[in-house]
This record gives sequence, C-alpha cells and structure tokens, in this order.
Amino acid sequence: MGRQFLAILRKDLIRELRTREMLVSMFLFVMLALVIFHYAFGVDDEADLTSLTGGMLWVTFVFAVLLGLNRSFAQEKDEQCLDGLLLCPVDRVTIFLAKAAGNLVFLLIIQAVSVPVFTLFFVERSYLPDLGLFILVLLLADLGICTLGTLLATISMNTRARDLLLPIVFLPLIVPVLIAATSATTAIFAEGADLGALLGRLGFLAAFDAVFLVAAYGTYDFAIGE
Amino acid sequence: MKKLVSAPALFAYAGALLVAGLLLGFYYAPTDASSMGYSQKIFYYHAPIAETALVAFGIAFVAAILYLRDPQPKWDRLGYASVRLGLLFSLLVMATGMIWGKAAWDAWWAWEPRLTTFLIVCFLYAAYFVLRQVVEEESRRATFAAVFAIVAFIDVPITFFAIRFMPEGLHPAVITATDTGMEGSMFLSFVISMAGMTLLLVALLRADVAAERLRDEIADLKTRIGG
Amino acid sequence: MDGSASETNPGAGGVPPAGAALEIEVDGLRKTFGRRDVLRGVSFTLERGGFLVMFGPNGAGKTTTLRVLATLLAPSKGSVRVAGHDVREDPMPVRRAVGLISHSPMLYLDLTAQENLRFYADMYRLDDREERITELLDRVELAHRRYDVVRTFSKGMRQRLAIARAILHRPRVLLLDEPHSGLDPRAVDILDGLLGEIREEHTFVMVTHHIEKGLELATRLMILDGGKIVWEHGAGVARDAFDAVYREHVQEGSVL
Repeated sequence: MGRQFLAILRKDLIRELRTREMLVSMFLFVMLALVIFHYAFGVDDEADLTSLTGGMLWVTFVFAVLLGLNRSFAQEKDEQCLDGLLLCPVDRVTIFLAKAAGNLVFLLIIQAVSVPVFTLFFVERSYLPDLGLFILVLLLADLGICTLGTLLATISMNTRARDLLLPIVFLPLIVPVLIAATSATTAIFAEGADLGALLGRLGFLAAFDAVFLVAAYGTYDFAIGE
Repeated sequence: MKKLVSAPALFAYAGALLVAGLLLGFYYAPTDASSMGYSQKIFYYHAPIAETALVAFGIAFVAAILYLRDPQPKWDRLGYASVRLGLLFSLLVMATGMIWGKAAWDAWWAWEPRLTTFLIVCFLYAAYFVLRQVVEEESRRATFAAVFAIVAFIDVPITFFAIRFMPEGLHPAVITATDTGMEGSMFLSFVISMAGMTLLLVALLRADVAAERLRDEIADLKTRIGG
Repeated sequence: MDGSASETNPGAGGVPPAGAALEIEVDGLRKTFGRRDVLRGVSFTLERGGFLVMFGPNGAGKTTTLRVLATLLAPSKGSVRVAGHDVREDPMPVRRAVGLISHSPMLYLDLTAQENLRFYADMYRLDDREERITELLDRVELAHRRYDVVRTFSKGMRQRLAIARAILHRPRVLLLDEPHSGLDPRAVDILDGLLGEIREEHTFVMVTHHIEKGLELATRLMILDGGKIVWEHGAGVARDAFDAVYREHVQEGSVL
C-alpha cells in the first residue's frame, strides 16, 4: 500500500508544483477574501475585529478548500485518468488516503503563507506563546476538512453537476468543524487560551476526524465508482 | 413487509393519538407556571415532531447501510421516502419552534442549539435532494444517496454538540426547564403525542414507499414498451 | 442467432487445441444502467492465446463488455472470470492480469512520459521499473520525448504512450477498445507491430469498427447487437461473407 499511496501523492504534488493551478488560485482567493473582509467589517482603522478573526480565517479556508478539491478531481476526469487509476490493482481506500493527503498538503501550504499575512492584518495581540496550540487546531481541523472534502468531491465529480454540487453537500456537513475551529482560533487570538480551556474543542475535532475517517473508509468504494 | 394494519387504520390510530395527546396537554396537564403559560402547550407537538424527524433520518441511515450491503431498489425507496418525510418534519420543527419562540421570548428566531441544529439539518438533507437530482443513472444515484445519508446522519449529533461551543446568546431557559422534572401528567400527554407522531410517520412512510414503487413500476413498463 | 451458432474453424491459425486453459469465461452476463439493459445475457469463453474481435453497431454493449472484463463496471447478473478469477469477488488479480487500451489515453497531461509510466509502474508494483520504462519507450519510439510533458505530444504520440502504459505491467489479457481510431499511420504501424510481437503470449479482446483489421487478427469473431451475441464464428471469414452476415444479423439502421 505504501508504494501506491506515495505514487498517487507524488503524482499530485508534481503536477501541482508544475502547473500551480490550485495553489495560485487558492492563494489569491484567500488574500482577496482578507482584503474584502477588512473593508466589509473594519469600517475604520479603530474597529476591533478580534472577535471576528477566527471566523474570517476559517470561512476563507473552507471556501479555498472547495477550489482545491474541485481541481484535484477535475484532473482525474480529464483524459479519463480515473479509469487508469481504477484499473490498477489498488485498494480504493489507498486512493482515498492519498488524495486526502494531497489536499491536506495543499491546504497546509496555503495556510503557511496566509496565516502570517492574516496575523499582520487583523491580530493585534502576539500569540507566539500559543503558536503550538494554534497549529494543533489547524492540523485537527484541516484533517476533518480534507477527509470529508475528499469523500464528497469524489461523489461530486461523478455526477452531472460536478463542481456545482460540492459546496452544497460539503458546507452543511463541515459546520461542526467550522464552529469548533472558529471558537478555538478566536480564543487564541483574543486572550491566549491555555490547553485546558481548549481541550474540549481539540478533543471534539479529533473525534470528528476519527469518525469521518472511519465513515469514508467504509463508503469510499461506493463513492469512487463500481 | 407484512401489513398487519391497513393503511387507513394506521392513519386513524395516529390521528386519534395525536388528538388525545393534544387534549390531554391542554386539559389534563397543568399550565406552565413560569412565564411561558399557555404557549408551552406547543411542546406536545414540537418535541414529538423533532423526535420523529430524527427517527426518519435514522431509518434513512439504516436503509442506506442495507442498500450498500445489498443494492436492492426497495432500500433506496425506503431511504428516499424517509429523508423526504424527515425533511418535512424538520421544517415543521422549525415552524413550531419559531412560533413558540415568538410566544415565549418575543422573537421569531433565536440561535438556540436545538433549533439551529435543525436549521443545519434542513440544509443537510436539502443537499440530499440536490445530489439525487444530478445523477441520472438509478443505481449510481441510489449508491451516492446512500453514502450521503450515512455521512449526514452521523453529522447530526456532532453538529448539535458543536453548537454548544459557541458563546451563548439568547439561550432559552424555557426548554431546559421542560427537560428537568416533567410532571407525570405532562409526561403522559407528551408520550401519547409522541406515539401518535411516530405512527403518523410510519403511515406516511408506508404510503410514500408504495407510491415510489408504483412510480418505478410505471417507469419500468414504459421502458419495456419503448416509451 | 445465438451462442449455439458458434463453430470453430479448424483451418484458422492460432487457435490452441481443445482443452486449453480458458482465460476468459463469461456466463449469462447482464448489465443494467438503471432501467436500461445494456447487456442481456452474454456468454462466451476465450482460451488462452485467443484473439476475440467484437463487432456491432454503437450501443450494442461492446464497450460495456470490455469495461466489465476490466473490472471498471460490476456485472449486474451472471459470472465473469478473467485469468481464473471472478471480477466481482476477486478483482485484484484480474486487474493485475488485464491491460486496457481505449480511445482516451488515460495519461496525465501535465506529467512527462517518464513520470506517467513511473506512476503506473508504482501502482502495479513493478520491480524493474526503470528498465521496463526504457524498454517500452524505445519500443513505442518515444525515447527522445521521455522528459517532455505529455500535453506537448500529438494525438498519435499520446496513443503510443498509452500503449506503453497498457502493457507496462505485462498483462496476460489485453483489452482493446477501438485502438486504431484516431491514430496516425505511424502509430497504427507501431500498434500492429506490437500486437504481432506479443501476439503469442497474450490473450486479446478487441472491439473495433475496422473490419479488415479485425478479420485479419481474430481467431474468434463475434457480432453484438442490442446487448446480445447475435453471431459467433471462428476465424477465416472472408470480407464479403462477413458483410453479408452482418447485414443479416444487425437491425437495419445500425451502422458498422
């Protein structure tokens, strides 16, 4: 399984680093959203947006992920590469894990670039002491987003609506992650929360990841085709 | 499925229980002592409708698993009908909840955890119909719908749980009050309404599944005669 | 009109003696898409080393049959065994044994020829990845384009690379879906040369509209129409005779 997993992941990474289709559009989208947020919420320079920071960040990421997920599967449909993939003697779950891992890598790249900019724009307090905690929130939320997103993008790609369907099915399902990640992030940006205060939310995100990893594991065979 | 009770009889039982529950709620159970007063009576319908909606989604969840294990059209019909009724009941939950909210705290809408959960549930299962709409081929449509019904049902309690992480705004002590120590007479009215509502779901589900089956048969016949 | 019309022509070359191992066994295969019956009871067997060519009008179910053999579609009813394994119960060994060439090349356009082949080599867990890739790129005359992105390839070059992709893992059974359509003459030559070379140790199922080529290559001929086998024959059918048979068995209005 390891070799096949790496082969799919490597192929997606090579492809993306060569074309930069996904990363460029995701990055520009995130940056534009931040600028728009500034004008939509920060009516004047004095306005304190601290209580909105978590929400702004995660809404942006969730929408950016939609762009990436659609691209990630559109390329499998081009030239019927998906058939080529399905012809291979590979467990469908391996395909799922590799695609989800690829999407996770892309999301992390986008976050690595955009979080510092976001901090510069909107966060007044230094949260350096809580950086580890913040990264933990990011990783746990990202994992859930990519797990569920990959499963649903696979289904969407196999329908007539393709990329139109994904937000409709993905957004209501991802609300719990959005809520937990948003409130945890806002807490860190606002007053610097300690591990104890965030433990409930971190545990919740981890449980979400685990539950939907199992659900995707059990249903991916059906999502990807016969 | 074996039909022990005819469809009209089932509807009649459901109706009788619902009326009985309502009458008991109004004339037997005491009127709420707190500020809610009479408006609390809607609870005897509101809560059973909510429970029934969740039961319907639960049936859809089980039907989805059965379909994926053994892809027979009957499981898809059951799942589809269950989600349809579940969504209908969820909309009723929203409506009764809003009416109650208006009466109890003079606001049509409050971001109360349960009501908010049902709002998200409505979006979730509306997506189920969009998904069905965009897949032409029946077996594939049924498969995708089943996968989604499973994921969606798992998401419902998680959503409810997650909403509690949000800072509390207008949180009605109203509803928590009904949770704690329900009086015997209130409980009886509630249970009878609940039984009536569940029977109503079963009756509707049976009728709906039968209608779907006829629709499928007609479509089959049409293709056979080259229509 | 049905399977019983099958006769083997003892004069035809390439047909192994009776009792040879069966590489493909299809019994009562049905495939429905929703309400549409695409295959309604297809049964045939093909011995190891055989070359089956399927003809038939569009929508007859030829491609569907190939996709079932390739495990891309699950049979609705009936049993299908390829290389000794059931496609539904035991798909992995079938996938290892099968190679598919279809009209779309199934190549990632933004990867180079080498990256594409490496990807598939890893998916099939080949031990001699680099040697095999070098060998095949030479064979399909693309060695000079090894490090070029497939997007820059002509249609014919892509199809040649697709051939390399399909036989990379040394499949025992090759499924060919209109392999000659859209090929430039050079690619046709390469494909035919390759087919000739590996003819001996492989079993083939080919779907084609190219009658000459089909009659020339086949050890078994088949016409599908409306999801059924309407005619079956051993090799050695002359072009004129075949045209007459085709007109006789396929509904009017169907174009070959």
